[in-house]
Amino acid sequence: MNDKLPFRLFTTHPRVVILEWDKEPDYTLLHELINFQKQIQKEFKEVIQITQGYCSLMLFHNTEVRHIDNYTNRLHLIFSSTPSTPINKGKLWQIPVCYDASFAPDLNPLAKKLNLSPEALIDTHVSASYHVSFIGFLPGFLYLGGLPKVLECRRKKQPAPHVSQGSVGIGGKQTGLYPADSPGGWYVIGKTPYPLFEPQKKKPCFARTGDSVQFLSISKSKYMELEEQKKNGSLKIIPV
Amino acid sequence: MIEVLHPGIHSSIQDLGRFGHQSLGVPIGGAMDQNAMLWANSLLNNAENSAVLEMSYKGPKLLFHESTVIALAGANMSAQLNGVTIPNLSAVEIKEGDILEFGNARGGIRTYMAVAGGIQAPKRLGSRSQFKGITTDSRLSKTKLIPFHRVVFDLKKGARLSTPKVDFIDIKISVYKGPDFYLLPPKAQDQLLKSPFTISVKNSRMAYLLEEKLIHQIPSIWTTPVLPGTVQCTPDGTLIILMRDAQTTGGYPRVLQLSDEGLNLLAQKSTHDSFQFQLSAV
Repeated sequence: MNDKLPFRLFTTHPRVVILEWDKEPDYTLLHELINFQKQIQKEFKEVIQITQGYCSLMLFHNTEVRHIDNYTNRLHLIFSSTPSTPINKGKLWQIPVCYDASFAPDLNPLAKKLNLSPEALIDTHVSASYHVSFIGFLPGFLYLGGLPKVLECRRKKQPAPHVSQGSVGIGGKQTGLYPADSPGGWYVIGKTPYPLFEPQKKKPCFARTGDSVQFLSISKSKYMELEEQKKNGSLKIIPV
Repeated sequence: MIEVLHPGIHSSIQDLGRFGHQSLGVPIGGAMDQNAMLWANSLLNNAENSAVLEMSYKGPKLLFHESTVIALAGANMSAQLNGVTIPNLSAVEIKEGDILEFGNARGGIRTYMAVAGGIQAPKRLGSRSQFKGITTDSRLSKTKLIPFHRVVFDLKKGARLSTPKVDFIDIKISVYKGPDFYLLPPKAQDQLLKSPFTISVKNSRMAYLLEEKLIHQIPSIWTTPVLPGTVQCTPDGTLIILMRDAQTTGGYPRVLQLSDEGLNLLAQKSTHDSFQFQLSAV
């Protein structure tokens, strides 16, 4: 039996194929995409890289894609036997975040907008569990799904020109962490002292698509203490 | 080593880019005009992916601390070696203490300098291409040193190129249809494929924004992978052409995709230049 929604296939470049699913992204689709990628990588040696969006995959080939009808049929066949449940549970990461006003320029304005007290906003943000839908925008920027409905908000009309590294933001139905200084349109409600992307390391990003993330509220003095540890390079996020 | 006496307007070290890390959000990057970059390398029998110096608008002033052989390709920047003009597309011998100075780009906007054996800037995530947040430096700056290996290169043995037949003044940029092309109303599809477009002042290694807008009502899409050469259309109809340093995902509808040749040619164009998209089948 197979009740999975099939994908649409686009070739937009001789070496690139895009697969898209016409639906709202959810946890089931996320794991179908993760599992499907693994099977594609096993079956098609010519696929040298796959990138993922909410409802799409982009396949890079080392040569021009030929016999597209045959190729499409094979992909559909493989997808129909792709499991929808997580094969690997993924890791759980607990990320310490300081929600002190000095690190959270948008905490009070956002709380007001959402009709919540700042404390309730923080409690809700900390109590939820999130999943990494994919990584994009900036090196190591995790798109986190699973934001509680009461925290959903429209992005800022004008992006802030400077959001500092480690900032935790909320935008639309998502929350996320800025791995580097960047302009950004999300409401900044806190900051983590932990390094989120380290290009000099063999595994530059701690998390993978499909992993889970929780936030732990820490005090400003704890943040300062951890910030000191970061300076000597000993600060590292460890999975639970 | 090559010492940077003056960095020029925007110069950086580039190879063919960084592959295999897009799923971590790492841009591909790499030389903007990869045709010109490959010509420069092939003149010196360098490996295709050897790192070169990419110079935009106006090139740097360089002091060579060691002898080597170089080759230039791309736009003409009136390069002068110790005050004497040297040509593009030929191997040129450099001696210790030589000063190489570049002027303003003509005919295109980017010039590539290959060095025998390739520039040996540190590799990060498999590539020497400079990018903010990945490599220590994101571009050339004054007093920096550019490392290279001393390799023996026989001037007589380099490849000979008949003048490559790419004309940077060509205004046809070849494209394929993007996944969201058909969501545009017929009038906008027509405009996209038949009208001229102008590059706005907002253009960089990341993206070129165009001046002309399309009228459309395409809803925003779920954030999806994009790549260099993807043409996005914002809610207000602005067209954004993603270039080599583009981010790996985007939430705007993707109306076109540039071909490799189209992307290389567009990289030689700049502010106020106009061009037309020319549709090809994949």
